[in-house]
Amino acid sequence: MNFIKRIITFQPSWTLRIITGMVSVVAFISMCLITGVLDISGAMAERDHEFTGRNIEAGAKYYFDQCARCHGGKGEGVDGLGPALSYDGFLGKWDPAKNTLGQSARLKAIGWTSSLKGYIEAVTAAGMPIKSSPIWENPHPPFALAYGGPLRDDQIKNIATFVVNWGPGQVAPVATQPEGGAGPQPTAAPLTAQQEKGKQVFLGAAGCQACHAIRGVAAGAVGPTMNKLATTAEARIKDAAYKGTAKNALEYIRESIVNPNVFVVAECPTGACIANVMPATFGTSLQPDDLNALIDYLGSLK
Amino acid sequence: MAIIGKRLVDQVRSTGLKATVAQRLDDGFTRLTSGLSWNDVRGVLRGDPPGKPNNRVKPHTEAFWFHIRPTFYHEAVTTLYPTFRLGYMSALFFAIEIITGIFLMIFYTPSPERAYQNMLDILTNVPFGQLMRDMHRLGAEVMVVVVTIHMWRTFLTASYKKPRQFTWFTGVILLIVTMFLSFSGYLLPWDQLALWAVTIGTSMADAAPLVGPQVNLLLRGAPDIGAGGLLRFYLFHVVLFPLIGVIFVAVHYYKVVRYGISLPPEMEGVGEDSARKVGPDKRVNFMPDILTNELVYAAIAIALLTIASGTFYNAALETHSNPLVTPNHTVAPWYFYWLQGLIKIPHILPVLPEALSTQFDSIMFNVLGITPKILWGIIIGPVIPLLLMVVPYIDPNPSRRYSDRKVMITLGVIFEVAILYLSLAGIPTGVPVTRFGFVGGDPASEIAQEFMPDEGVGKVKRVPWDQLAVGTWQIVPPDEAPNAPEFNHLLRELQQDMDHRTREADPNGKKLSGGTANVRVKLIQPDVKEFTLTISFTDDKGQPQQYSKTNYLHRNSGYEKE
Repeated sequence: MNFIKRIITFQPSWTLRIITGMVSVVAFISMCLITGVLDISGAMAERDHEFTGRNIEAGAKYYFDQCARCHGGKGEGVDGLGPALSYDGFLGKWDPAKNTLGQSARLKAIGWTSSLKGYIEAVTAAGMPIKSSPIWENPHPPFALAYGGPLRDDQIKNIATFVVNWGPGQVAPVATQPEGGAGPQPTAAPLTAQQEKGKQVFLGAAGCQACHAIRGVAAGAVGPTMNKLATTAEARIKDAAYKGTAKNALEYIRESIVNPNVFVVAECPTGACIANVMPATFGTSLQPDDLNALIDYLGSLK
Repeated sequence: MAIIGKRLVDQVRSTGLKATVAQRLDDGFTRLTSGLSWNDVRGVLRGDPPGKPNNRVKPHTEAFWFHIRPTFYHEAVTTLYPTFRLGYMSALFFAIEIITGIFLMIFYTPSPERAYQNMLDILTNVPFGQLMRDMHRLGAEVMVVVVTIHMWRTFLTASYKKPRQFTWFTGVILLIVTMFLSFSGYLLPWDQLALWAVTIGTSMADAAPLVGPQVNLLLRGAPDIGAGGLLRFYLFHVVLFPLIGVIFVAVHYYKVVRYGISLPPEMEGVGEDSARKVGPDKRVNFMPDILTNELVYAAIAIALLTIASGTFYNAALETHSNPLVTPNHTVAPWYFYWLQGLIKIPHILPVLPEALSTQFDSIMFNVLGITPKILWGIIIGPVIPLLLMVVPYIDPNPSRRYSDRKVMITLGVIFEVAILYLSLAGIPTGVPVTRFGFVGGDPASEIAQEFMPDEGVGKVKRVPWDQLAVGTWQIVPPDEAPNAPEFNHLLRELQQDMDHRTREADPNGKKLSGGTANVRVKLIQPDVKEFTLTISFTDDKGQPQQYSKTNYLHRNSGYEKE
């Protein structure tokens, strides 16, 4: 009680007032000076570094949301959908001594004289003219809100920062086309009547084209592409992680359509593959004839 | 000109150059202080007794800044108790907010395209920018606290009673202005925290009967907060609320000068107000005693605020606002938690048994069209400040003594406990024991939210970047990565959290069942790692489910410092 009374009746003496007052003023001024000196001698630059890092993180998130389906999780490109980004033909060769990117062959070829980042931002925002790249059937859609896309300007800037950040860690392009990432047209052999019927099922009744791409046929970007599916299927069966019962490519394709959760591949362009994305209902919703035709058609893609 | 020159020359001739300069400087100084010479001010700061006649009274009549302060106080109010200098501190913080706010205004544009980039620029390109922002933000939070305690103190000492009813009334308005100032400032950084806290705040207005949607539209400038809303909140923040604040501070201060500071209740007779009837022996002059005390308190407060802002306190800046993505567990600013808690009250009459109160709710809805949310959040919520305003006009008790005010003080304490309880209910974890107000999704997403929150820095981001071991790691039982103690600690914590949620149901009865999980770390760019947590579990229907969440982490992002 006495203690409380001493607190509430407290009156600082003159000496105490002068000392605490002066100490406080000195503390305030020194804190300001210290902050100022730290700010101009590196603290601001360090925060700039941090926020650039965080912008790249945000860019990665938007890239995997919006771009990876067509450009690949490593920027390696997806056959039939989108060209590679993370190779020196596009980014320019990384110079470890100077810590910079060299001249981009792609930008030189199309006569883009401004910066690489500017090009990425411009194409992401507004799309690009289809004839600038004759091997791709699908135009690059506009992504900026201003042009009818889903992304704000800051998101597009973050994506460009993320893509350029591949500089030091470029992966080789998956194919040898000038832009990289594009293989030759799949299967030149003419389709049989049965396979032609399967193609119509792919495009029509089954609705596969909404999610899957086949070069020159469909450009769905939700599931994996079906180019060279027969070849891919052979490889999957031999995969050590494979848990299904298929013995050959056609069986594997059937299993993947009828019972897609039996074996989910580990890596998708957008990150770890997730089960249950592919509906498990096609085994019952498709007529047996249609299903057989579809499998026949997909099996012809080598 | 010639005449002044002649006088100056004459003075120099008669008294010498040095004395003339000193005398002229002192003249100027005396004009600045409205009547105190340099030696007078020195005497004030040293605590010398006043001369006769007391020339220290002159600034109180001549100068603006001193005329709003009394020339003397009763000695009983100059100790820490009864005022605790809280009113003075509130005004001081208001001034600090104005000064730091003007600094920040220089670098800020109220436009969705620019605001967030401006924030980054303030932090990375403006010297003192971070310090000013931290001081502004911390000062605002402290100001809300100080103003609230100031009101609480005034209530306890019954200083609101005659003749100070209107002073109290303006004080409640200042409390509301303080909260709205702080709240309107929330939106300006245009990050996720800003957008969603303000969206929640304005949605409360939206639910109000009759005028709700119109008020909401006026506040936001559009159905959703966008360019119009940002501009409006900016104008509220820098023009409207400060203006109202300044006007009411002036009125409030005038009333304090007019009626004096009320004495401690036990020193006065019932119904008596003797603050202005101070005998000469009880007087403590403003100068030097009060003034020097106030200067010291101000210096201490400013120094502490600056040191806190310059060292450990960092005003949060989350990711760019995104109207399409609502972060999990969004909350209003903490001083509005109680409102969020009010809205969570499930029934109009929550004291009745469950079945009866449900029935009562439907009757009320059918007859009057009000739901529990409308009643508690929209009708009761705004009534509380109105109730505070009229307290002095409805309190019939003339006595200020504690012993005569048992009912009122009890009511006050109940009110305060209720506000604290509702504030706890306002946050997603709810009130500790009763768990009222708990909000939680399914256990898997809650685990992810705990370790990898949608916004802000969670445990995953705090693991040093180099220790995030590339590979796939099982959680049940936790794998051990080589040379990564903090990463391994994280895996163990994940395992403990899953174990906890498997053994104990949350207040909604949800439990994790059959949970396994893994963490996958992948290097996706030279300095960027992808961290994915995947939790497999069995849902209520016995179906296997998977939940996964990904964070991208850059080497330089510096989360461990936050």
